[in-house]
Amino acid sequence: MISYFSSADRLVAAILVIAVVAYIGWRVLTSPEQALQFGFNGLSVGAIYALMAIGFTLVYSTVWFFDLYYGAAAALGAYGVFYLRSQEWLGGIYQVNTPVVNIIFAVVVAGVAAWVLHTTLYGRLQQRVPPPVLRTLGGILALVVGAYAGAVLMFPSDLHILFGPMAAIAAAIALFFLARFTYSSMLGRRGYKILTFVAASAALALALFLGNALVSSPGSKLYLSWVVSCLLAGSVGLALYRGLYVRMRQRSRSPLIMLVASLGILLALSASISIVFESAPRPLPDPFGSVPWTLGGANIKGFNLFAIAAAFVGFVALLITLKWTPFGRAVRAIGDDEEVARVVGINTTVIVAIVFFVGTAFAAMAGILNGHDTAIQPRMGLLLLLKGWIASVVGGIGNLYGALLGGFLLGVIEQFAIWDLAGEWKDVVAFVLLILFLSFWPQGLLPRK
Amino acid sequence: MLTRPPSWQRLSELARNPLQAFALSRNNVELWANLLIITFAVVFMLWKGATFAVTLGTVFAIWAMLSVSLNLVVGFTGLLSIGHIGFFGVGAYTVAILTSTTAYENLRTGAIPTFGWPFFAALPVAAIAAGLVALLVGIAFNRFRDDIYVLVSFGFAIISFNVFLNLRGITRGAFGIHDVARPQIGSWVFDTELELMLMAMALMVIVVGISWFIVSSSFGRVLTAIREDEQVAEVFGYHASHYKLAVWVISAMMAGVAGGMFSSWTTFIDPNSFILLESVLLVSIVILGGLATIWGSLLGALAFVLLEEGMRFLPFLPQEYVGQARQVVLGILLVLLMVFRPQGLVGRYKL
Repeated sequence: MISYFSSADRLVAAILVIAVVAYIGWRVLTSPEQALQFGFNGLSVGAIYALMAIGFTLVYSTVWFFDLYYGAAAALGAYGVFYLRSQEWLGGIYQVNTPVVNIIFAVVVAGVAAWVLHTTLYGRLQQRVPPPVLRTLGGILALVVGAYAGAVLMFPSDLHILFGPMAAIAAAIALFFLARFTYSSMLGRRGYKILTFVAASAALALALFLGNALVSSPGSKLYLSWVVSCLLAGSVGLALYRGLYVRMRQRSRSPLIMLVASLGILLALSASISIVFESAPRPLPDPFGSVPWTLGGANIKGFNLFAIAAAFVGFVALLITLKWTPFGRAVRAIGDDEEVARVVGINTTVIVAIVFFVGTAFAAMAGILNGHDTAIQPRMGLLLLLKGWIASVVGGIGNLYGALLGGFLLGVIEQFAIWDLAGEWKDVVAFVLLILFLSFWPQGLLPRK
Repeated sequence: MLTRPPSWQRLSELARNPLQAFALSRNNVELWANLLIITFAVVFMLWKGATFAVTLGTVFAIWAMLSVSLNLVVGFTGLLSIGHIGFFGVGAYTVAILTSTTAYENLRTGAIPTFGWPFFAALPVAAIAAGLVALLVGIAFNRFRDDIYVLVSFGFAIISFNVFLNLRGITRGAFGIHDVARPQIGSWVFDTELELMLMAMALMVIVVGISWFIVSSSFGRVLTAIREDEQVAEVFGYHASHYKLAVWVISAMMAGVAGGMFSSWTTFIDPNSFILLESVLLVSIVILGGLATIWGSLLGALAFVLLEEGMRFLPFLPQEYVGQARQVVLGILLVLLMVFRPQGLVGRYKL
C-alpha cells in the first residue's frame, strides 16, 4: 500500500513544492514591501511553532510516544504568567490568586524536590548517614522547597524579592558549571584549581550583582514570572512522567495507549484552567512596549524579534547540550535504544525525566510568547500543540534541525497563504499542508538519520 | 459483539447456590460497571421523573449513535480517529440547510437560497453527504496509521470546524441556522420531547442493528483481522485499504444520521456544537465504554450523559462549571483506565 504510491509521490511532492515556491516568489515580486511584512510576521509566528516543535521533538525522539500534555503545558505556562501578573497589572479586576491552586503547585514542587534529592543524594550518602535520618532530612528539605514555591505563588507582587535572589544564584551556578565544563574540556587538568577559583569568584560576583539588580527593580517581575511558570510547567511534566508514564511503561502499554492517557491529562488540565480562569480570552501585559520600528516598509515589533531570538537561543542551547555533554549523549542513546542504554548503565528514568522537564519548559515558553503576541485562552494549548506537531512532522520527525526549520516554514507559509485567503483560514492551511506533506513526503524535509 | 449473556447452565448453578454469586462477581469489572451504571441510570430516572428522563433519552440516543459508529472504526478496525465530529457536523448541517426556511442575508454573498425539504427527505441526503465526505477523506487518510492517523484526524476535525465557521455562503457562519424542521409524517409533526426521543431511539436501534450485523458478519471478522495484523489480512487476499475505507464510510454515514437527528432536535445549530473538544469527548466515551464492543459504547454514552446530569446536582459545584468539571472527571477516568484497564470497562481490545 505504501510502496504502491511512492514513485508517483515524489513527482507530486515536487510539483507541490514548486507551486508553493512559485506562489511565494510571485507574491514577493509583485509587492516586495508587503511581502517583507508578511515574511516577518511568518517568522515571528514560526518562532513560537519552532519552540513548540523543538521541545516536542526532544521528548518524542527520546521516548517515542506523543505526549499531548505538551498542549496543556503551553497553556499552563501562559496562564502562569497571567496568574502572577494580572492582579498588579490589571488592578485586581480578576481575583485569580486562590490558595487551592497555590497548594496544588506547592505539593507538585515538593514532590519533584523530594524526587531530585532522592535520586541525586540518597545513594551517595546512604553509606555514611543512617537512612531514617536521611529520609527525615530529605522530607523536611522537600517540604521547605514546596513551601517556598507556595509562598512565591501566594505573593506575586513581591516576586522580585522572593524569587530574584534564587534566579540570580541559579544563573550564577549554571554559568559556573558552563565555564568549568568549557575550560576543563579545552585544557584538561592544567591550571584547574586556579581557573576554578577564578570562575567561582566571578560567579559569586555575578550572583551578587544580578541578585541586587533584580531585587531593586520591580520591572523585572514580568521576566521572573516567565521563569517561574516555565519551571512550574516543567515540574508538572516531570511529575507526570515519574508518577504516571513510568508506571505505564512498566506495564508495557503501547504508544497509542500512552497517547490516550495524555489526552485525558490534556482534557482534565485545560478544563481545570477554564474553571480557575474562566474560558474567555485574557490579555497578557506587553513586555517591550508596542511601538513598532519600520524597516524597509515593514513594521517590526521588538517583542517579535525577541521571540525569534528566543527560538534560536533555545535551539542552539539544546543542540550544544545534546551534542557535547554526557547528558546529551545519554539522551541520544536512549532515543536509539532504551533497553541497550539501560544495559550499559545509563539511568534511563532520571534522564528521561529531565528530558520531560526541559521539553515541557520549552512548550511553556512557547505558550508564554504566544500569549504575549495574541491573547490567552484555555483552548490555546491544543492548537499550539497541533501546530508544533505539524512543524515537527514537516521538518522530519525526531530531528532537531527539522523542528526549527519546520516551525519557521509553517509560520511563513501560513502567513503567505492568508494573504489572499482571509485570516480565519490559517488553521485549515496548516492542516492541509500537513496532510499533503504526510501523503507525499512522509519522512519530512530533514529525516532523522 | 454484545457481551455474552450467562449460559443457562451457569444460571441454574447460581439458582441452586446463590452464595456463589459473590465469588463470581469478585474482580469482575465488567459486571460491576454494568450494574453500577444501569442502577445509577434507573435510580436517576425514577428520582427526576419522566420529562427529565425523556430529554436525557434523546441526548443519550444521539451520543450512543455517535459512539457506536466510532467504535466500528476505533475498536473493530483499530484506527484511532479523533475527527468523527466532522461527519456529525456534515450530517447536521445538511439537514439544517435543506430543511430550514429562515431567510438569511449575507453582506458578502447575498441571500442564501432555502430549500424547505421535509426532514425525512433530508436525513438520507445527510447520510449520503457524510458518506461522500468520508470517502474523500478516507482515500486521503488510508495510508496513515497509528499516531500519524491521530494527528491527521485531529486535522480533519479542525478543518471541518473551520469550514462550518467560515464558509458563510453555505453554513451562515457563526450566526448558525435557525428553524430546522422537525420530523413530520403527513400532518403528524414530531414536536413533543417524547416523540423526538422515540424517533432518536428508533434511529439508534437501526444504527446499533446495522453495527451488530456488520461486526457479526464475515466483513466484521476481516476488519478484526486487519486490526490485529494488516499484512496477514493482505496475505489472505483481502484488500485492507478497501475494507478500511468501507467501514470508515459506513461509520461516517451513521454519524451523519446522528447529526441530522441532533439538528432537528435542537432546531438550531451553530459551529460551536462541532468543536474539536466534542470529538475528544466522543473518543473518550468510546474508550471508556470499551473498545470492540457495541454494548460498551452504549454503556459509555449512558455513563457520559449521566455524568453531566449527575454533576448538575452536586451541591458544592456552581452551575456554570458543570461542563468543565465533567471534562476533568472524564480526563482523570481516562488516565486511570489507561493505566489499569486499557481495554475500557467492558472492552475486548487494547489499543
